Amino acid sequence: MSIAARSAYGLSRHARPVAIGVAVCAAAAAIAGAVALTRGEARGQTTVLAVTTIVAGCTFVAGGIVAWLRRPANLTGPLMMVAGFLLFGTSMAQAQQSLPFTVGLVIGAVPAAVVAQLVLAFPDGRLHSRWERLVVGAAYVDVVVLQVAMLMFMGFEHINGCPCPDNLLLIRDDARIHSALMGSQRVLTVVVTAALAVLLARRWRAASAPLRRAIAPVLWTTAVTIVLLVAAELTTDAVPRGLAAASRIALATVPIAYLLGLFTARIARVSVSDLVVELGRLPGPGQLRIALARALRDPSLELAYWIPDLETYVGLDGQPVDVGAAPGRAVTVVEHGGRRVAALIHDPALGENPELLGAVGSAAGLALENERLQAELRAQLEELRDSRARIVEAGDIARRRLERNLHDGAQQRLVALSVALGLAERKLTTDAQQAAAMLQAARGELTVALEELREIARGLHPAILSRGLAVALEGVAERSPVPVQLHVDGGARPPPSVEAAAYYVVSEALTNVARYAHASAATVRVARDAGRLRVEVSDDGLGGATITKGSGLQGLRDRVEAIGGHLEVQSQHGRGTRVIAVLPLQHRETTAETELGDANRD
Amino acid sequence: MQTETEAARTRVVIADDSILLREGIAALLVDSGFEVVAQSGTADDLLLKVRSLRPDVAIVDIRMPPTHTDEGLRAAQVIRERYSDTSVLVLSQYVESGYALDLLADSAEGVGYLLKDRVSDVGEFAAAVQRVADGGTALDPAVVSRLVGSRRGRGPLDELSGREREVLELMAEGRSNAGISARLVITERAVEKHVTSIFQKLRLPAASDDHRRVLAVLTYLRAG
Repeated sequence: MSIAARSAYGLSRHARPVAIGVAVCAAAAAIAGAVALTRGEARGQTTVLAVTTIVAGCTFVAGGIVAWLRRPANLTGPLMMVAGFLLFGTSMAQAQQSLPFTVGLVIGAVPAAVVAQLVLAFPDGRLHSRWERLVVGAAYVDVVVLQVAMLMFMGFEHINGCPCPDNLLLIRDDARIHSALMGSQRVLTVVVTAALAVLLARRWRAASAPLRRAIAPVLWTTAVTIVLLVAAELTTDAVPRGLAAASRIALATVPIAYLLGLFTARIARVSVSDLVVELGRLPGPGQLRIALARALRDPSLELAYWIPDLETYVGLDGQPVDVGAAPGRAVTVVEHGGRRVAALIHDPALGENPELLGAVGSAAGLALENERLQAELRAQLEELRDSRARIVEAGDIARRRLERNLHDGAQQRLVALSVALGLAERKLTTDAQQAAAMLQAARGELTVALEELREIARGLHPAILSRGLAVALEGVAERSPVPVQLHVDGGARPPPSVEAAAYYVVSEALTNVARYAHASAATVRVARDAGRLRVEVSDDGLGGATITKGSGLQGLRDRVEAIGGHLEVQSQHGRGTRVIAVLPLQHRETTAETELGDANRD
Repeated sequence: MQTETEAARTRVVIADDSILLREGIAALLVDSGFEVVAQSGTADDLLLKVRSLRPDVAIVDIRMPPTHTDEGLRAAQVIRERYSDTSVLVLSQYVESGYALDLLADSAEGVGYLLKDRVSDVGEFAAAVQRVADGGTALDPAVVSRLVGSRRGRGPLDELSGREREVLELMAEGRSNAGISARLVITERAVEKHVTSIFQKLRLPAASDDHRRVLAVLTYLRAG
């Protein structure tokens, strides 16, 4: 088992220095924040709150670094780092200078919004539905826009614990406006929290039992944290200090839950173990796709099976599938025992989780190989049925043409001839001279009718084949308007069906040369090669011939494949055309064929 | 035939897409005292000529352009519906009882279906054309024998004697008692006796006209 995309691991090596840099910055910020917070006790902060805030910041930055190293393309890591630094930044609200004080006030509530985004984007770091994006957007409006607006009208002279530095955002200290804004901020907070709760509840309901176990740590720690943060936010007037501290402690546990969720590969393990159990009792075709879609949590998953003979992917129904043509889809090739087996066509988001794709692909390798064999069989049956239908149709067309030629040609002439003879018979006694003239005309008619019958008979089966392939091909070459060089190996005669196929290949190919190729010369080679007869017709004409549906070449290929052979057309524009048929000489013949063949040689 | 006057000659239109055959049949009919008033290569042209010339009989090849399937047969049916004074003799390369019976579905009056091969027996063919032109019937012996053959071993047909079966087949071809007696070289009285016996054995109602008799026999042969 191998998976094509492994770039994630390569990137992590280059990212290490960056991660170390981030960690050093975080440590510095944490120390600065801790110092600031312990000094800020005069403004209502407790040591407990200070310590828990810094601890939470540390776990976020550390968790973010780990997540980013393991999943560079996943936004979860960077988001956690941002949340960590924001937490450190909140300590600036304790500063004695105006600028850090103001910044600290602005970012004070932002970590809560980041946590909301994190949980909704778990586990791939992306927001998927419009509702998710709406809720996260509203959360940022709440903690940034409304916060800034409120600060513009809020002086800190009246707040307990101050004197404070100047609020740089202050336009006018107006208690009415700022309490109105604070009120609307609280309303929006409640609405966003409720919407978040609904979205998480829906996700929980939709999850299977094992998936619930896997996502439970993230969901519960986040839910508890947000409830505590919101509760602390809504009760600022009579801050129960324990509540704020508790919310910070809960916050500190969030990154740990994420790391558990993301990296213990628990989800993948759960999915894969479920898959293995399911693979053991797959009831029918199509079930594998459903099982894999469930394990990968991608309902849009499609499977395509590799058919080496046709050099194409086909669906379970044997019909060709164009892999990689659809935009917004990603393809992962699954191998089993070192051979390409199938392609998973999936949501690009799954690429974020190569371990899961790898584990699922590996677990399903054998089952995929089984279904691949089925698909291959179906594709071959499909081709066989098509070619059978074409052979029958070609036979019908040939018979219809034959009937028409007979009816309009020889038959008509013979009837006319019988009329002429009838008339001549009547004239015989009365006008012998006219009767003689009539008989002469009748003989002319008869000659033409015989000639027509001969042409038709040759179209039915080349009687000349009874004299051997070489002789028959000489006749074909002689009739060709384009000069033909003929090389036919001697030796024992091939089976009649092989001789007939070779004859028709040469005949049809030379007809095409005369009709379409604008060639000045053609070469026919018939040679024995390791139990096979190789027939090759080449010309120096225009090239560009293809085996299209309903063409003579398609009919030839059907005829050749019907006796276990293989027909190939090489025809580049401007480079001439080469038709190569390889026919097995050991073809086991049916009794009818043998009898017919013997009859031909009489 | 040579004794017939110009006015009494039977007027014929011939439709066949093979000019060779058309000319041959025309030569043969003219030689036998018919007047060939027109020749056509297509069914549409035939209908035009029948409409304007009102011949006594139209001789029509079943397969004609453009599709070479049954254009002639359809033209024949149109002629029978619209131009009751023109009889139709259809020529076919093959024995297709279905075609023949379609043609004879409603009435056997002034209608014929013959294989093209019959043309070479000039006397027989001319007689058949004349019979159809006069409102009689000409059904190819091959069609009749196929119909009779398909009924073998089932009921009253087996009760017929060999001679009676011969008479039955000639009746089905549309021949009169005189024609049958000439063909079998027996007296007309003997033919009449056979016919009566046949009608009794097959429990058919006696029919006066030859063409009604054809229809009765064919209806019997088809049923079952």
